[in-house]
Amino acid sequence: MHNNGHNPYKPTPMHIVRAYYESNDRSLKTLELVFDHQADRDEFFEAYNPGQFCQLSIFGKGEAPFGVASAAWEGDFVRFTIQKMGSFTQYAHQLQAGDAIGMRGPLGNGFPLEDWKGKNLVIIGGGCAFSTLYALTKHVHHPQNRPDFDQLVVIYGARTSGLCMYKHDIQSWYQRDDMEIHQAIDVPEEDWSHHVGYVPDVVKNVAPSPENAVAVVCGPPIMTKYTLPVLVELGFAPDTIFTSLEKRMKCGIGKCGRCNIGSKYICKDGPVFSLAELQELPDDI
Amino acid sequence: MSELIAKLKSEIKRLFDEDVVDVVIAFKKADSPLRPQPAFYRKGDSLEDLEYNSLCQNNLANYLTRYPHETRIGIVVRGCESRSVNALVVEKQHPRENLFKIGIPCQGIVDLRKIVKQTGEDVSGYKEDQEKISVVFKNKEYQFDRKDVLHDSCLRCVHPNPVNPDVLLGDPLPEGDPGVLRQAVESFEALTKQERYTWFQQEAERCIRCYACREACPMCYCTECFVDHNPPRWTESTISPAGTQAWHIIRAFHQTGRCTSCGACERACPMDIKMTYLTDKLNEDMLNQYDFAPGMDDTTQPPFASFNLDDKNRFVA
Amino acid sequence: MMYILEKKKLNKILSTWAQEHEVFVPQKVEEYSQFLPYTEDSELALKSPHNTRYPPKALFLPQSEVMLKFNNRTQKYEEVNTTPKSRLVFGVRPCDAKAFRLLDTVFDAEDYADPYWKAKRDATILIGIGCEVPPSTCFCTTVGGGPFNQDGLDAILTELEGSYLVQILTEKAETLFASLSPATIEQEKQVEAIQTKAHDSMSPAFETDGLKQKLDQIFESSYWDKISESCLGCGICTFLCPTCFCFDIVDEVQRKERVRNWDTCMFRIYSQEASGHNPRPTRRERTRQRLMHKYSYWLDHIDEIGCTGCGRCVRYCPVGLDIRAMLRTANTHESEAVHA
Repeated sequence: MHNNGHNPYKPTPMHIVRAYYESNDRSLKTLELVFDHQADRDEFFEAYNPGQFCQLSIFGKGEAPFGVASAAWEGDFVRFTIQKMGSFTQYAHQLQAGDAIGMRGPLGNGFPLEDWKGKNLVIIGGGCAFSTLYALTKHVHHPQNRPDFDQLVVIYGARTSGLCMYKHDIQSWYQRDDMEIHQAIDVPEEDWSHHVGYVPDVVKNVAPSPENAVAVVCGPPIMTKYTLPVLVELGFAPDTIFTSLEKRMKCGIGKCGRCNIGSKYICKDGPVFSLAELQELPDDI
Repeated sequence: MSELIAKLKSEIKRLFDEDVVDVVIAFKKADSPLRPQPAFYRKGDSLEDLEYNSLCQNNLANYLTRYPHETRIGIVVRGCESRSVNALVVEKQHPRENLFKIGIPCQGIVDLRKIVKQTGEDVSGYKEDQEKISVVFKNKEYQFDRKDVLHDSCLRCVHPNPVNPDVLLGDPLPEGDPGVLRQAVESFEALTKQERYTWFQQEAERCIRCYACREACPMCYCTECFVDHNPPRWTESTISPAGTQAWHIIRAFHQTGRCTSCGACERACPMDIKMTYLTDKLNEDMLNQYDFAPGMDDTTQPPFASFNLDDKNRFVA
Repeated sequence: MMYILEKKKLNKILSTWAQEHEVFVPQKVEEYSQFLPYTEDSELALKSPHNTRYPPKALFLPQSEVMLKFNNRTQKYEEVNTTPKSRLVFGVRPCDAKAFRLLDTVFDAEDYADPYWKAKRDATILIGIGCEVPPSTCFCTTVGGGPFNQDGLDAILTELEGSYLVQILTEKAETLFASLSPATIEQEKQVEAIQTKAHDSMSPAFETDGLKQKLDQIFESSYWDKISESCLGCGICTFLCPTCFCFDIVDEVQRKERVRNWDTCMFRIYSQEASGHNPRPTRRERTRQRLMHKYSYWLDHIDEIGCTGCGRCVRYCPVGLDIRAMLRTANTHESEAVHA
């Protein structure tokens, strides 16, 4: 994306149209935002690609980066799922439908969907980082996009069933005949009929084929760290494994220097990198 | 100096040979003869580059808090450093039994800025004896009386001799006149209230928030400084009067009864900001109100860090 | 074109310029110097053998800069005017001018241009002054610059007896000096000799050939523990550095302003994440980031070293750390087996 002479630090004025908790412990909250101005909406959807993120802006509290959790075809809104962490997210959790909020983006590269055309997709997510993978899955689901990809396998783990996001929608994925869905929680629970265990182990069990496939992994650093070798062991080549990096960011456009790792700026050159690209970077993550 | 350095080397060698310490914090020569650097020697390291002279600018006690308590540290201490070490021991930052203080009576730290003001910035050679400091600038030698080029804090030094060192190298020097400690405070107090505020503003508002004063100070060892805290943010991080003034005021207050007047903060400051007039004033209050001077032993808690049943404060009773 | 500017006419010409431009000149503050707006009473600090202590990058990337003004109740905001009136900076050293050009590759990049930086850059004329006697702490020639380097400048002055010779480098500067008398061939020759002598007086401070590869190789080595051992972790080297550009963005609620402030990789909180994880937990990693950025990552980006040899970090480090010595040590550091 280019700023075409606009001030890229200016947040786009938005309003919250829906705000709801994703988890029963209220640590995860989803906000759906709509544009105050049609032109901003057009510009956003023109540029947006799953895997990108936005800087949400609350004047007085600052800004923080969040991955987009919706696909463009879902409607004129942009969805974010926010985990309560620091000062910004605590405040964001208090926001309700009707509240004003600013947004800068879409930022970053997003998933290289053009390169993935004609391939099998293996989507592996854990915790709230699954949000951008949810956007990716929704994108693929659209009848217009679905023929671009072959088989679709989604593996999604959460610590407990109460922390599973997008429950109702994901429940309906079991009925689809164009995909496989594997959900997992860390420890057994009553009424849980799906996988139990950590994501790397679940991936090992599901053993998706590397044949004409790309795998994309988003999750907490520890999950990603242990899942990547499993995929390599299954035969996925480093340039067919993708992940999204999280780093402290401020500007989101490669100026402020904060997310620099080696020759890359995570905000601008990422956040999506292939394992092959990551192996070129210094161990500074 | 060379005699003292020889003594220092043999003492450090002894400490390693007799397995008294794991590391010795001292100074070493650097490329520029004017900029000796803090050095960290371990058993087996060559002591060839060890240095000690009046250009050693830093308070080595600053590095104590970087080591685990089990590490047996040998440290070269002058008067102020020995008191900083004591203050840190009192605040339980390192156990006294794992410290070996190599004391050197201090003739004061030379303030390079006072020299270059008269010569030019690119001073090369350096020599010193008891009375005289001489430098070379553009192949010409300039000589100064030591007292003319000492750092302001050192001119006000009352205790040039290390307090309770484990070994003392060199002969003790006469103690300073307690009256001199008042000098910075006195000239500040002589101003009117408005003048004092203007002075404070002019100093504080040059601040670029690099926190060299904090990082150079042995007593600023908090894992998270109040200016770095979020949420809530206690001060503006912006270069604004509100932000810079808050930093300088609160920094000084946090030093009350803890600052040993070493002046490392002012020596580190890239913007030539005066700071010791505030801490010296607070220390004077501690002396007058509580009969306490920081670092004079390694057991007495600073008044603001201790609570007794017979405290006068009404809120306690 | 070359002109002669007599020293006694300097104030007059600055005053003339000040009618049309906001003019900045190096001036003394306490014992240091800084670029400040020119007034008739300004005492110019042009004599120093080296650059100003406070870097002129602050004229384009102010240490604190208001980006937006907001109302936190309504969440509405206003932009601040980013376009200053025409500016002229007089007395810039070549190392600092080159740094502006390097920073343009960040702030005026093809994908995103930073409007705050760009507006000030576009509105500014840079008149440089070369360094006749480069001090021992400077090392511009080692990193591809020089004491009379013209990179990034609109005109450059060379000091002569009682006057300056002005070399016009861009159209922007052409009319500024047009009223002056041209330099004689003799003066031009004299200046050439001065410049060559200054350049030749600086010996290489370290080897840059293969330095990037070396640094990349020793990324995991004990070298970084050694060179960062005495580092205090303050922000002097980076804040005073002409090429360091990192900033933080904060909302100052009381003033209702979104502000960007210089920030530095040398601070712990710079990389501290909300989760508690810090990818650069000690001075070892932070020092490494500072050096690697300048001497490796900049080369990846634009094939140039991100250091102009201005010497500020060498002169003002409170513990006497010298980046030149660090890099010499890196060059001789034996590569160690990398442990996984």
